[in-house]
Amino acid sequence: MASVPPEAPERPMLETAGAAAVSPRRRRGWVRSLDVAIPAGVLALVLGACFLWPIVASIPPPTGGDVLESNLPPLSPGHVLGTDPVGNDILSRLLHGGQASIQIAVAVQGIGLVLGGSLGAFAAYVGGILDAVIMRCLDVLIAFPSLVLALAIAQSLGPSKVNTIWALTFFSIPAIARISRAATLRLREQPFMVAARLSGTKMWRVLVRHIAPNILPQLVTFGLLGMGIIIILEGALSFLGLGVPPPAPSWGNMIFIGQQSISAYPRLVLMPCAFLFVTVLSFNLLGEALRARWSAQ
Amino acid sequence: MSTSTPALGADRRVSHGLARALRSPSLRLIGRRLAAAIPVLWGVTLLTFLVLNIMPGSAAQQLLGADATPEQVRQLEAELNLDQPAWVRYWEWLQGVVTGDLGNSIASGQPVTTIIGQRLPVSVELVLCAIIVSLAFTVPLALMAARRPNGIVDRLSMVLSMTGLSIANYVFALVLVVVFAVIFPVLPAIGFVPLSDGLLGNLRSLILPAIAIGFPLFCFYTRFLRGDLVEQMRGEDYVVTAKAKGVGPWRVLIRHAFRNSLFGLLTIVGLNLGTLIGATVIIEQIFALPGIGQELLQAINNRDAVVVQAIVLLLAVVVVVANLITDLLYAVLDPRIRYGQRSA
Repeated sequence: MASVPPEAPERPMLETAGAAAVSPRRRRGWVRSLDVAIPAGVLALVLGACFLWPIVASIPPPTGGDVLESNLPPLSPGHVLGTDPVGNDILSRLLHGGQASIQIAVAVQGIGLVLGGSLGAFAAYVGGILDAVIMRCLDVLIAFPSLVLALAIAQSLGPSKVNTIWALTFFSIPAIARISRAATLRLREQPFMVAARLSGTKMWRVLVRHIAPNILPQLVTFGLLGMGIIIILEGALSFLGLGVPPPAPSWGNMIFIGQQSISAYPRLVLMPCAFLFVTVLSFNLLGEALRARWSAQ
Repeated sequence: MSTSTPALGADRRVSHGLARALRSPSLRLIGRRLAAAIPVLWGVTLLTFLVLNIMPGSAAQQLLGADATPEQVRQLEAELNLDQPAWVRYWEWLQGVVTGDLGNSIASGQPVTTIIGQRLPVSVELVLCAIIVSLAFTVPLALMAARRPNGIVDRLSMVLSMTGLSIANYVFALVLVVVFAVIFPVLPAIGFVPLSDGLLGNLRSLILPAIAIGFPLFCFYTRFLRGDLVEQMRGEDYVVTAKAKGVGPWRVLIRHAFRNSLFGLLTIVGLNLGTLIGATVIIEQIFALPGIGQELLQAINNRDAVVVQAIVLLLAVVVVVANLITDLLYAVLDPRIRYGQRSA
């Protein structure tokens, strides 16, 4: 990655999105808002189910099930989606697993936005040798295959939910920092920035009051698009036994545990897979729709 | 890059030619890119070492188990050089890496280079198959989609690629296993048949893993290639010229626009190699393929830090070098880059 200009990896994706968005016939208002409304609605459903349903409705706990109730088929009394080989309620595990996946993804992207965003904006604003050093360090991080670096970090920290978050921020920080740097570079020569500099505004004030509000929408959109990738990576880590440690559920480790009895009970694998897919798809569609709006403006 | 100083008594025409070659834009670009890659490669070794060595707790203690005596722990630490300060160990390891000696596995005692030599061919074959599978489907679909933007094929391709980008490769792999090995048992679910045992069996054992890795890639490439082709067809002067000459639409698309977009596709394939390698780790695990990714996971579970850091380093270096080669190839093939004006 050393020799590629900083914004190169993101550029093709942005262009394709732009090309897709600006269709010859401008779409009408309500169709455009459906682009956002449908994935946002599905996401709201998933979030509501994962975070509110366990509080409002009484569902069995996700762990510590009774072995006597193992492998019940779906629609059994008390267990809508049935139970797994240890007798835990699958629906409950799906919902609690979703909580873990989404909490991790939000934390990773949140940390990425704050640290990566400010690092990129700072590098672009001061420029010169500091910029070069910061970007070279990020190049090093980006050079690692994302999953491999996350695996190594998760291994040396030990499997836990918090450590999974830190391992994955090594992936989100450099990506967001690059976007933030590119966006800040475009802002630098704008008249209002020159005016702020000429009137002697302090650096942190320029960064917080002038740059941050301008680049934030773009970064948040990118962060939303990245949510899908983070959820997938978290699943991969848990799937490989280095993410959320069992018996606590996460979609990744449910898929992993289900895989061991895949020929007898494919539903144990397919149900968390379906949840994972729908959630990631909604995040991707939402991010894509927001980005299309951005590039159309 | 400076011009060469003429050697004493050398033929002046030769040295003049050399000086001109060194001033050529391609060579200068290659030199610049190589120089920029070196600090990154060094950083990769440093980070790999840091991640795996500055971990809490003693590695020797973990190897011996909780009931080892302090003497045993100290003895093993001395054996593994763990009693040295980290920077000394880093320096020794770096010297080994540069001379091609990656140390011996803690768990099995085998040289790490031997282990990697056994495992690497499987992963390389898998990656190549995945790239071939994905490109074989990408090119025709993207061409058909770009022929009529917003047409039926185009819309279907967009839906398909969005689906593929949202499906995790391990999810897709398991769906493939359920469909092709459990419901319709036509393909082996796990296991690897080496190439020496016959090509057919080898390909049969690789087909599901290659599709599992290739499908998300196919979606990503299709999305990119379709977008690039549409853009070329819409605005570029050479497309207008070709159309004005009376060249047929398919021919403009394939012979003119596609040839130009091929550069972009090449870059994307190169830049995406990191994701691809990450995917092989997990896919090899699912299909029980004895590749480098499976070895990495085994080593992680055995807490075999020597093997883990060697493999992590290898994979990162592969990514850096692949990006470098992509970049250079791009520059050599596309004169606009060579002369310093980036297109697009």
